Amino acid sequence: MRNAGTGSRNSRQPRNINVSFTDADLIARVLLHEDHNAFGELVRRHQSPVRAFLTRMTRGDSHLADDLAQETFLKAWQKLYTFRGTSRFSTWLFGIAFNEFRGAARQRKELALEDMAESPPELEEPSGAAGSNLRLDLTEALKLLNSNERAAVVLCCQNGLSHEEAAQVLDCPLGTVKTNVLRGKEKLKRRLSL
Amino acid sequence: MNTPEDPVDALLREQNTYVDDGGFTARVVKSLPRRRRAWLRPALLLGAVAIGSVLAILWLPWGDLPTPDASVLRSLNSQVLMPWVLVILVTASLTWGAISALERGD
Repeated sequence: MRNAGTGSRNSRQPRNINVSFTDADLIARVLLHEDHNAFGELVRRHQSPVRAFLTRMTRGDSHLADDLAQETFLKAWQKLYTFRGTSRFSTWLFGIAFNEFRGAARQRKELALEDMAESPPELEEPSGAAGSNLRLDLTEALKLLNSNERAAVVLCCQNGLSHEEAAQVLDCPLGTVKTNVLRGKEKLKRRLSL
Repeated sequence: MNTPEDPVDALLREQNTYVDDGGFTARVVKSLPRRRRAWLRPALLLGAVAIGSVLAILWLPWGDLPTPDASVLRSLNSQVLMPWVLVILVTASLTWGAISALERGD
């Protein structure tokens, strides 16, 4: 797993930005000088977790996830002056990304359909194959969670956010996040027979 | 004694692979819009200064200003001081607006 703040160097974009700059340095450069290269460095550092999160949220639709990720970073560019630095920059980005996902899902009526469903889809028995199949099984099992459970599990268990940070991202009470993480993990355990 | 890690946590963390940039950053940077305030604020300020200057030239009593000598200042006569106060305030406001507009202009 690669840390969101220390991604590998990319020779194509952006140029002339020292990787030793912290996120705060880069944000200051963007705000003071509207520095596209500094913002490009922020995108390069954080694109992987944001795109992975949105791919999970869109149930593997990587094209939609990339469109939402692009919108996420454009919103971040426009609203960067509202970032107060009280949370990590990655947490702030996840919040924008989740709002983008929610907006897109609302347009597609996905959330409404999820809310109407009283119970989750029937959990199938795992195929029994281990190793590489487990990766596919996890991907499929995550699709069976509702969006709130999926978001909570992916943020807390996969991206290492605290419950408090996830509550901030998802704009919901702390207790709701904890419940969604527990429920989500329980469903995954059952699905994967862990 | 260490508690064993939750298998779901371990599996999720293990599968948190890096998503290759693949030109994503370049696309985002290319599509960044120009910030409106970079030109809008100075333009609005300069426009307001221009309009304010025209109104000041037309309406301020330039020909009727009393000579600002010491006896006038000491008299504290509002009919004498008010035109000067008005001129100073308007001139200061217009100057501040022009400086602010030019400071922000890129």
